[in-house]
Amino acid sequence: MSEDLYWTLIDIANGLLSGAMLGGYYAIISLGLALVFGVMRLVNLAHGDWLIVAAYIAAVVVQFLGFPPFVSLIVVVPAMFVIGYALQRYLLNRVSVQAMEEKGMSSNFGLMSPILVTFGMSIVIAHALLGIFASDATGIKNALSYSAIRLTQDLSISTLRLIFFGIAGAILVSVHLFLHRSHAGRAIRAASDDPEVASLMGMRTERIYALASAISLAVAGVAGVAVGMSRTFQPFDGPQFLLIAFGVVIVGGLGSIAGSLVGGVLLGITQVLAGTYFGPSAQLVAGYMLILFVLAVRPQGLFSR
Amino acid sequence: MSILAPEDDGPLLRVAGLSAYYGELRALTNIGFEIERGEILSIIGANGAGKTTLLKSLVGLMNRGRMARIEGRIEFEGRAIENLATEDIVNAGIALVPEGRRLFSRLSVQENLMAGAYLPRCRSTLKERLDEIYALFPVLAERRRQIVSQMSGGEQQMVAIGRALMSSPTLILFDELSLGLAPFVVDDIYRKVSQIHELGVTAIVIEQDMKRALHVASHVFVMLEGHVVLEGKPENVTEEQVSAAYFGTGIEGLG
Ligand SMILES: Nc1ncnc2c1ncn2[C@@H]1O[C@H](COP(=O)(O)OP(=O)(O)OP(=O)(O)O)[C@@H](O)[C@H]1O
Ligand SMILES: [Mg+2]
Repeated sequence: MSEDLYWTLIDIANGLLSGAMLGGYYAIISLGLALVFGVMRLVNLAHGDWLIVAAYIAAVVVQFLGFPPFVSLIVVVPAMFVIGYALQRYLLNRVSVQAMEEKGMSSNFGLMSPILVTFGMSIVIAHALLGIFASDATGIKNALSYSAIRLTQDLSISTLRLIFFGIAGAILVSVHLFLHRSHAGRAIRAASDDPEVASLMGMRTERIYALASAISLAVAGVAGVAVGMSRTFQPFDGPQFLLIAFGVVIVGGLGSIAGSLVGGVLLGITQVLAGTYFGPSAQLVAGYMLILFVLAVRPQGLFSR
Repeated sequence: MSILAPEDDGPLLRVAGLSAYYGELRALTNIGFEIERGEILSIIGANGAGKTTLLKSLVGLMNRGRMARIEGRIEFEGRAIENLATEDIVNAGIALVPEGRRLFSRLSVQENLMAGAYLPRCRSTLKERLDEIYALFPVLAERRRQIVSQMSGGEQQMVAIGRALMSSPTLILFDELSLGLAPFVVDDIYRKVSQIHELGVTAIVIEQDMKRALHVASHVFVMLEGHVVLEGKPENVTEEQVSAAYFGTGIEGLG
């Protein structure tokens, strides 16, 4: 094998590997967004900002409680779960399509108002973070963030990314099992199908929605810790994660958990390979081109139901 | 199952002065009636007469804010339920098989049935209940893993009935059971309704087919434009009276 061919293959293999690892983490960024949309037809424009909130909570826990970054998950995930529950129960349920219809307003208004509310929330969160933490870049990196597992002489994989890929896989499998095997999970699926009939089964939809939202933000919390451990972040970084989540959902298709993983991995690989061959600035462009391509040939996404 | 309360001597359901509104539109006007345990009440009426609205009122789907609201009193087992949420009414023992079936289309047959037993009081007996439903509808047992949207109308209606029975109701409300089904399928469904009734469940049946409605019932209502215009026992009313009331051409009440 010629030297050139060898290095070409190594580059591609590295790109595929690290792109796939990145995809696992993209998948958990998008899972919460897709879940909340699938169940409540609610587009949470503040999803990325909540992810950054989780990263800041992790930073505070690491700094003031002296926890190792990974251990911060035991604080971050429950905290985000509670935030998600309360947010849906006491704010978003009041502006949902059903709530608007009960007030005698048109359902268009009901589709629009959560978008406006979460858009406003996104701005408020970013400025609140700015007020509390200033605009300095924050991070919770530790030695793990820099370590790599060497597969061959020239092929290696980031330890952190591998761990988070494993965690992402575990989360996707558990959410799937939860939705299909538990009473509460079945209730979430039933309520997403027909909320009125769900209430005829004795399901309290306002609580079921709150639970879906709690899971969404708890998963975003894991993504937030992953972000914090792999790069620095700032108060206004939220929207870029929202864009990633949208991209994954478009590529993978809404409402399918396998779709989140495949969408995430495809987007990750596209970005890393583009970065390898055309430089870092090509990463975003290539991602958007993939999204446009999927929208053109299969607008419902690769894995839509 | 019955919860023996002192009020148990009274009627199972008592409705008095019930009116229902969709915004400005009044869909029910001053409805009053009682159902004893073990009865089957058939409600007949033209499209838009308010039959569905009456059932929705009984299960709390009409007290949802400004758009859909009711006035009047509804007592179930002696307890006022007109202000309760749907979830609490279902928990008290009323189940609705809705018009158009409205199954959870992405769930399998068994998942639809299990969704019907979501209430905490149903969970410990879920397995036994499932077996009972499968004994009542053996077709469903063979197809428990199938996604319901791929089934025939009759099979879907069986799932809808089974799902309502999963909550062990005392009173079951059937809205347009025969809608869009072939006559022999409807015969089959009504045999099941009789079987369910023999198990001690009281029922309200909404039926467009006059003969069938009179046949199955121990008590009949004809509704017209939000009013009950004819009421009586099937043996005391003639088909002519019923169709006159149905079309609003001659209104006479019978005891
Ligand atoms: N969601 C709604 N919003 C506004 N008006 C409604 C609504 N549902 C029903 N109505 C009106 O209320 C009246 C009674 O309707 P309802 O559905 O109770 O009749 P029905 O007897 O069940 O008719 P059908 O035989 O067609 O099922 C009708 O005039 C109908 O147009
Ligand atoms: Mg109707």
